[in-house]
Amino acid sequence: MDEKETSHETGFSSDAKKNPQRIVFITRKTSAKVNGEIPGQVMAYPHLLLRESIAFQVLIIAIVLLALAWDAPLEQLANPLVTPNPAKAPWYFLGLQELLHYFPPLVAGILIPTLVVISLVVIPYFNVNVEGEPMWSTNSSRRLRALLATLAVLEIFLGVFQAWTVFVPTAAIGGIAVFSFFIAPTSTGLGRYLRSRAASWWVMTWFICVAVVLTVVGTFFRGPGWSWIWPWRGHAG
Amino acid sequence: MTEPAKPGTNGGEAHAKDDLDRRDFLNEITFAALGIAAVGSAVVTYRYLSPNVLFEPPTKFRAGTPDLYPVDTVTYLPDQQVYIVRTSDGFYAVSAVCTHLGCITQWKPEADQIACPCHGSKFNSTGVKIEGPAPRPLPHFLITMTLDGELQVNKLETVNMKQAFKV
Amino acid sequence: MATTFQDALARLRETRVWKSIFRRGPALTNRTRSLAVFGNLFFHFLPVKVREKSLRVRATYYLGSISFLLFVILAVSGVLLMFYYHPAVPQAYRDMKDLRFVVSNGVFLRNLHRLAAQLMVLVVFLHMFHVFYRGGYKPPHEFNWVVGVILLLVTLFLSYTGYLLPWDQLAFWAITVGTNIISAMPVLGKYVRFQLLGGNLVGENALLRFYVLHCVVLPLAAVLFIAVHFWRVQKDGGLTVKGEDGRKGN
Repeated sequence: MDEKETSHETGFSSDAKKNPQRIVFITRKTSAKVNGEIPGQVMAYPHLLLRESIAFQVLIIAIVLLALAWDAPLEQLANPLVTPNPAKAPWYFLGLQELLHYFPPLVAGILIPTLVVISLVVIPYFNVNVEGEPMWSTNSSRRLRALLATLAVLEIFLGVFQAWTVFVPTAAIGGIAVFSFFIAPTSTGLGRYLRSRAASWWVMTWFICVAVVLTVVGTFFRGPGWSWIWPWRGHAG
Repeated sequence: MTEPAKPGTNGGEAHAKDDLDRRDFLNEITFAALGIAAVGSAVVTYRYLSPNVLFEPPTKFRAGTPDLYPVDTVTYLPDQQVYIVRTSDGFYAVSAVCTHLGCITQWKPEADQIACPCHGSKFNSTGVKIEGPAPRPLPHFLITMTLDGELQVNKLETVNMKQAFKV
Repeated sequence: MATTFQDALARLRETRVWKSIFRRGPALTNRTRSLAVFGNLFFHFLPVKVREKSLRVRATYYLGSISFLLFVILAVSGVLLMFYYHPAVPQAYRDMKDLRFVVSNGVFLRNLHRLAAQLMVLVVFLHMFHVFYRGGYKPPHEFNWVVGVILLLVTLFLSYTGYLLPWDQLAFWAITVGTNIISAMPVLGKYVRFQLLGGNLVGENALLRFYVLHCVVLPLAAVLFIAVHFWRVQKDGGLTVKGEDGRKGN
C-alpha cells in the first residue's frame, strides 16, 4: 500500500472507530502476486529419503570392503629425539608443505592459506559469475592482454622464487586459457566448451590444478630432505 | 508422480489374498537383508566391545604348600581376597567378599569370627553366617593340588560348604 | 509368509503403544508424507518437497550427502574406538597395538575410521568445487557457502587433531611440523601454539588437548554447523538445478 507522499490532509476523521478507513494509493501498475507451486517437485519422503538411504548403503558396502582390504599404517612409538626423514604432514597439507619449500613459513603457512580461505568466503558476495558469461564475450582483445600481463607477472614472480611446482601448472592452465581465445566460434565439443568458460571458472580451475599438482608432488615426488625423487626409482635424482 | 500402490493391491489386478506381488517381495528381501546386516553388525560390535585381554589379577592362583598353614588357623591373602582356613577336617578357601553388598570382610581372631564392616554381617571361620543382613554364607572356592605339591585355588569354581580339601 | 508379516505389521501399527510413538500413520498420502519429514525431529532440516531434477545423481553426485554420511560413520566408529583408547603417553601407542592384535575386529574398526576420515576430507573438497562449478553459492545461497567453508575448516581440523592420537612417529612429527607453521603467524603465533599444545613441546598435554578437541569440541561444532547448513539449504529455497531459475549455470 502506498501513501500519497505530499500531504496527510485527507479530509477524513482520524478516529478509526468512527470512520474506519482503508486507503490504498497505487502509484504504479501492479498485479496481484500469486505464489504458485514450483513445478517439478516431488515429496521428500519417499523420493529423497530413500535415495539417501541407498547412497548410505552403497557407501557402507564400499567403505567396509576397502577397510577389510587396506590396513592403516602404524609406525614406531613417537620419539621426540629422532625425526624421520622426510617428516611429512597428512596428504591434505602436503601441498602446503611443498609450498613451504619455496616460500618462507609466514607466506606459505599463514598468508597463502588465509588468503585462500578469505577468497573462498567472499566468492558469493562479490557476485562472482552471477550471469555466467564467457570470459571472451566482451572486450575480448583487452581481456586477452590483461590475461597475458597477469600470467607474465605471476610466472616471473614464481620463477624468481624457483617455485617450479606452481610455475608449470600455471603455465599449462594459462596456456589453455590463451588458446581458448583463438578457438573458432563454430567449433564443437571440447573447443566450444573451453571457449564459453567464464573468468571465474578459469581462476578456480587454475587453483584446483595448482593444489592438485602441489599435493601430488609432495606425496610422491619428495624424498629425504625434501629432495626431488622419481617415485618409481625411489632415490634422489 | 504416481501414488505407490497400497500394500495388498496390485495396481488394480484382482488376486488372492496370499499372493505376493513383486513390490512386496522385493520389500521383504530388502528388509531381510538389512536385518541380517544389522544383526551381523550387532554381533561384531558386541565381540569388539568384549575385551580379550584383562589386566586384572588372575582368578586361578597358587597358595603355597600345605605346611605353611597350621591346623585351626585362618590366613587372609590380601591380593586375592581369600581366607585359607585349615581345620582338622582339611582346607577351605573362603571368599573374603561379603555376600551382602561386596565389601571386604575382616578376620577377627579374638572373636573367632569373620566380620563385615559395612553393615555388620558376621560369619564363623568357615564362612557360615552367624548374624547380619548377608543373604548367603561366604562361598568356598575349589582347591586342587599342583604336581609339585602346592595348593591351587580356582575362584571361578565354588564347592559345597561341607567339602574340605584333604591333604 | 508374505501377508501374515504385513498383517502383523498392520496390527502392530494399530496398537496404542505404536500410535503413541509414531503419531502420523503410514506415509501413504501426501499429508502423511509431509509429516514424515516436517513432523520429525531428525528430518525436519530437510524440505518437505524437493525438485525432482535435483535427485539425479549427476545433479550433485550426492557429494554433500556422502560427506554427511561419512561423518556419521566416523562418529560411530570413533566412539567404539574410544572404548579402548587412553589419551596418555605412551599408553596411547600401546592401545593402538592392542586394537591391532588383541581386540576382536579392532583392525577393521581402525581401518574404517581412518579410511572414512581421508575420504571425508576428499569428498568435502569435491563437494565444495562442485557447488562452485554449478553456481550453488549465488544469492540467496551466499551464507550457506560461508557455512560450508567453515565446515571445510572444521573437517580439516578434525582430521588434523585425530592424526596425533596414534602417537607414532608419523603422528608426532606431522603435528610438530604443523604446529611450527602456526607459530609463524605474526603476533599471535606463539600463543596459539602454546594453547594448542598446552606447552612448548608436543607431549602429553598436547595429546590430551587434541583428544578433547577431536572427540568433543570439534564434533559438536561440526554437528551445529551441519545442522545450519542443511537448514539453510531448505530455507534458501532448496537445491536448484542448472538452468531452472533462468540463470545460466557455469
